[in-house]
Amino acid sequence: MASAANSLRLCLRASRKISVRPAASPLLRRALTTTAAQCARPGRKKGWKDPSDNFEFPEPYEGKAFNDLGEQLRYSLENDELNEADRAAVQQALASWENKPNEEKLEEQQIIKEIDKEFAPLRAPVRARHNSFWNAEEQDTDLITDEVGEDDFEENDMMAMGHAKLEEHREYREYARIAVWEMPLLSKFTKKFEPPKENEVLRFRYTTYMGEFHPADRKVVVEFAPRDLSELTEVQQSKLCKLAGARYNPEKQTIKMSCEKFELPAQNKRWLGDTIARLITAAKDPTDTFEDIPLDTRHHKFKSIPKYPKEWYMSEQRKKELLAQREESLKLDMKKRRTRELIDGVKLIEQGVLSSVKEKEPVAVRVKAR
Amino acid sequence: MSATNCLRCLGRPAVAGASRGVIVPVFAPRTAPFSTTAVQNAMPGKPQKSMEHQDRSVRVYRAGKKMKIKKKGNLDRGKPPAPGERKAFRKKIVLSNDNALPVPWVTEMVAGSLSDRKQVGTIVSLPPVLQDQLRATEAFQPTQTWGLFRKPSTLIRQESVDLIGKMEKAVENKETARIVLTGEKISGKSTMLLQAQSHAYLNNWIVIHFPDAQELINGSTEYAPIPNTENPTLYMQQNYCLKLLQSIKKANEKIFAKLLSVSSHSELPQNITVNQPLLSLINAAKEAEGAWPVFQALWSELNAQGANRPPILLSMDNLPHIMKISEYRSASFDKIHAHDLALVKLFTDALGGNARFPSGGAVIAATNRNNGPRIPSMELALKQRLAVQNGDSEGMPVKDPYFKGYDERVEKVLKTVEVMEVNRIGKKEARGLMEYWAASGLLRTTVDEQAVSEKWTLGGGGVLGEMERAALLTMKI
Repeated sequence: MASAANSLRLCLRASRKISVRPAASPLLRRALTTTAAQCARPGRKKGWKDPSDNFEFPEPYEGKAFNDLGEQLRYSLENDELNEADRAAVQQALASWENKPNEEKLEEQQIIKEIDKEFAPLRAPVRARHNSFWNAEEQDTDLITDEVGEDDFEENDMMAMGHAKLEEHREYREYARIAVWEMPLLSKFTKKFEPPKENEVLRFRYTTYMGEFHPADRKVVVEFAPRDLSELTEVQQSKLCKLAGARYNPEKQTIKMSCEKFELPAQNKRWLGDTIARLITAAKDPTDTFEDIPLDTRHHKFKSIPKYPKEWYMSEQRKKELLAQREESLKLDMKKRRTRELIDGVKLIEQGVLSSVKEKEPVAVRVKAR
Repeated sequence: MSATNCLRCLGRPAVAGASRGVIVPVFAPRTAPFSTTAVQNAMPGKPQKSMEHQDRSVRVYRAGKKMKIKKKGNLDRGKPPAPGERKAFRKKIVLSNDNALPVPWVTEMVAGSLSDRKQVGTIVSLPPVLQDQLRATEAFQPTQTWGLFRKPSTLIRQESVDLIGKMEKAVENKETARIVLTGEKISGKSTMLLQAQSHAYLNNWIVIHFPDAQELINGSTEYAPIPNTENPTLYMQQNYCLKLLQSIKKANEKIFAKLLSVSSHSELPQNITVNQPLLSLINAAKEAEGAWPVFQALWSELNAQGANRPPILLSMDNLPHIMKISEYRSASFDKIHAHDLALVKLFTDALGGNARFPSGGAVIAATNRNNGPRIPSMELALKQRLAVQNGDSEGMPVKDPYFKGYDERVEKVLKTVEVMEVNRIGKKEARGLMEYWAASGLLRTTVDEQAVSEKWTLGGGGVLGEMERAALLTMKI
């Protein structure tokens, strides 16, 4: 019985495509030439001539085999499309060929034959072998590199992990050098913190991305509390808060504004300063004090953080109070127990059940005698 | 074995020998020669499925199978409940439980027991006549636990004594006490209303009680504009009015039989002349059609000055419902404010202080927290009133100037009311209550201070309803 593998092989064999590759184009059949081989290209017309070539044989000789060079030259002279210069060159070559002595001609022919013989296996079309499986023996001529054995370790270097460890050590040492030699120099630039003075009301915030470009690096934010502006009266301060609108935080009682209109942080800061100055002059304006308008806090969500009530913390006093309460309640229970006033639910239920049973008249039950 | 049948001919029948002249025994049902299984005949009693198929001359094509979904026959689901039966079951009130033990020390409520400060923390039972009266005005609620005990009884709390004291004081001065009861969920606001009503009945007051304000505004009763009312047009609810009149009559029958009318009412369906008992005035409302004029006439009679009328208790449960826009629409399809409904207006006028009862009385309303809508103006007004009562002018809550949901009419009504908070009960009251529970056979513990403290704490620090849930309405005992 034929095995399954065999039948599969047969099926595959029937459906495979046999690649027939000509080893060399007919152009190669020209025996000796110095010009580069040129394929006919689809875009080019027949008779197109590469300007870099100074001479080319006329094309229509496909499938023809010539015995010697003279024969080939003569055949090309028969071509009508040959131009004058070429024709003259061919004729000159033909004349020099015919002037050669016979021995030389024979010698050349011999050389050509030998070359043909050597090239024969290259020219032969490579056919897939008769019983080959998926034509596995085919050599891939398109491969650029020969990958075989590329990753083999040849015992002459460290492994990649070793290199990585070394690199890590180099990095540590680099930063250690910076820490020891360069960082102490930074202490020259230290400044002592000074809390803002009374006239320094505005607090600016800038953003830097360490020299990198970022769309937000121009942004400047200013925050200030209206009640720090001592030159304003209370009414003016409240007017300032109302003018600030949603920028006023009623929980922290601060106004926060930002600007990123302009290209440079300094410009943005200037704009903020100007705006605050305008706000303050508007707040000082006595024509309308906004006193009839209530402060709008709809934009702000008040957070209430529940805290453990102070009264609930256990203190010595509280402990004493609780103990006293417990003692009192114990005394009360004892007293009630003594006077039999303490109420026991379980006992009462039992008594209730008993009394309800007693209330019912006894009924004779007939028992079947055995 | 070289078989007679080669492999190719496996498909052929094995009885080929018959044609070769070999004798083959013929059995009626052919069986396998070596087999232990029983022979199975076609059932003799079973008739052939389709007789026409037997007739080979008529060729019958088999029709494709169709999926048939069997219709379920009419299942017997029993009798559907009659109209109104479900609601009756939902609203069913059970006031006694024969399995519960009678508690020997519980006394019956008398006229003065609710105002007795010494009785705080004790349980009193409602006398049968009072039970009927309270039933008539729907003062009992199905969510309350009356059905667990032998007799409907109630705990006298500090708050109830305070409330009754206020009512009595108002009657002494011939004034009207206007009180709104607030408090947490299930803290006993409706029961306080019930106690106020009990006190009123026992002291021969006239009680008009709106058991659920929601029924007035949620579009469940018929309504019609009252003629000759404009800016704003008022609306009467005749069906509700008739129901209310009947409950008033049932609850206050004895008093109404004694009271006589002071003016004639010729506009009513039944002409009422001077010096007729008010009972006949109420009886004039036989149908919903004339209910509103009868109610108006009754109201004017009750408020008649110098006629020696008894004090009046006007009470309403679930107050927040009438403090909003109702579900009703006017002829131009505008929403009707609840205060434009005549019955609601009557109550809110009384609560706002516009009505003056001749011999004094009380207007008491209870808020509800579970099912009630949140009315910002009402909540604010009540908080403000509480702050004023406590003398806390600094902590007085103020209106949010940018909030649009306030209602001026509501604020106007609640501007001068007295707010009473129904708070958590103290441990003394809790002990009295739990002893009653244990004596009724509902609490299987010894009621000592520890047990009381435990249930009191479990019940949110003395929220009465929560204590009930923790002790009575749970399987863990």
